[in-house]
Amino acid sequence: MSLALLKKDLKQNYTLFLIFLSVLVMYMLMMIPMFNPDDINELLIILNMMPIEMLRAMGFSDIITDLTSFLASWLYGMLMFGFPMVYCIILGNRLVSKMIDNNSFAYLLSTPNSRVKLIVTQGFFALFSLLLLFVLVFSSGLLFSHLIHPGLLDVSAFLKLNIMTMLLNMVIIMICFTSSCIFNESRRSSGVGSGIAVTFLLMNMLGSSSLDLEILKKMSLYGLYNPVDLVRGSNVTGIGLFFLGLIILLFTISVLIFNKKRLPI
Amino acid sequence: MIDVKNLTMIYPSGKGIFNLNFKVKKGEILGYIGPNGAGKTTTIRALLGFMKPNEGTCTINGLDCIKDAPKIQRFLGYIPGEISFFDDMTGYEFLQFMHEMRGLKDNGRQNELLKLFDLDPKGKIRRFSKGMKQKLGIVTAFMHNPDVLILDEPSSGLDPLMQIRFINLILEEKEKGKTIILSSHIFEEVEKTCDNVIIIKEGKIVNYSTVQLLKKSQRKGFIIKPDNCEQAIQTFLRSNFISNQLNNDSIEVYCSGDRIDEFIKTCAKLKLYNFDEISQSLEDVFMQYYKNEGVQQ
Repeated sequence: MSLALLKKDLKQNYTLFLIFLSVLVMYMLMMIPMFNPDDINELLIILNMMPIEMLRAMGFSDIITDLTSFLASWLYGMLMFGFPMVYCIILGNRLVSKMIDNNSFAYLLSTPNSRVKLIVTQGFFALFSLLLLFVLVFSSGLLFSHLIHPGLLDVSAFLKLNIMTMLLNMVIIMICFTSSCIFNESRRSSGVGSGIAVTFLLMNMLGSSSLDLEILKKMSLYGLYNPVDLVRGSNVTGIGLFFLGLIILLFTISVLIFNKKRLPI
Repeated sequence: MIDVKNLTMIYPSGKGIFNLNFKVKKGEILGYIGPNGAGKTTTIRALLGFMKPNEGTCTINGLDCIKDAPKIQRFLGYIPGEISFFDDMTGYEFLQFMHEMRGLKDNGRQNELLKLFDLDPKGKIRRFSKGMKQKLGIVTAFMHNPDVLILDEPSSGLDPLMQIRFINLILEEKEKGKTIILSSHIFEEVEKTCDNVIIIKEGKIVNYSTVQLLKKSQRKGFIIKPDNCEQAIQTFLRSNFISNQLNNDSIEVYCSGDRIDEFIKTCAKLKLYNFDEISQSLEDVFMQYYKNEGVQQ
């Protein structure tokens, strides 16, 4: 790992990071006051007025009675992976393929650092930034809940929910990162990476909207676990480990491919 | 120091470099010349370890250019043919970053070079002019005092004054015993600095000689204004010089580098009103070389 490169990545990408962080934290800040234990029935009435397919597609299908499930449904059912997906696509592309495309990677390779070291640093930065993003999102959730609804948040369930969502986003960024390591053209790399991610997202939305299409959801990375079931105690360790395995596998493939390939720089 | 053996690298398009063999001794400067698309940058990609060759090997100081690329980079300076920095950095940030990536602290040489090229690398690199970017590339390649330098068209975009300073820098480095491969289109630069010259065309070496030999083979052209064009053309023809009527009072005459004396003596037989040399660029030299090749084939 190269500390100098890590520092450069941080400097270059902190604006991107802050934009996504602030949007997610803002949503957290908006959603938590909207939960009102007394008004939960009123919310149910509103929900019942909307077409069930639409609600399902947005991941709001379950009946919510507690704050943790409320957040799991409204924030973690779609927003917490749909929105960071864009971050994953942009960052994944920036970290490798963009620099190959515009030749600037030549300057990284004209220093006494091996390709493996450089690419491991870039991949580590991608994963680390998501870790940081979710640590901050989790902390903000904890803080706002404590301020607005003291004692109502099931902290350990909320932590589990954030870890799972983080792992899911890490898989997505690794898909984009691998694509970035394979393709030398920035356009291709982001096209393939975002293509895969968006396909999974659409499969999840379609699969949720109708029982007939549920198979699509089950085949989508985004639909492998139900966030509301998760906070209500269903065991997701297997899926968590699957995500972790996928992250390691994709990272390894990226490094191997990048180490061997011809760089037109 | 640099040893290229049977180096073959073929792109999917079928272009590439084919079976290149050459050596550069320590302290030698090799000019690496060829038209666009001849394979200069491809050779450099193999030397830098960016691309693994299909066949053959290249080593620098006994280290394999692919396997040992990071070790080689410790004593190698490189100027890319198409320079691209990290645009959002300022010039100073970039230099600082390169120091850190190389694990070096001393920036004494860096400041000397900035002064030499009159470069103040404040501000975002994105806003730099082509010449400023090129200067920044030069400073980056030389600032860690490398033993070997691989320079891909290093002075493109520099103004004439800076080109002279660059030539002086190369000569200074040569004095220090540096080994340099210089890919260039500027004849003066190659003529003043290089010991040997390789001309490459369509991926193959078509000429590998010393600069002196290359200069000898260079055909010189002159525009002269004689009192009688017809008579002058006949005189040159008798002495085996090729000449053409340019307009009604001037002719052009061509003479190879090793027949200058004979040429001047032939001119002395004529009455001349004007005598101009046609300035020739390096392109003309290899254009001529290719033409000769064509005749031989």
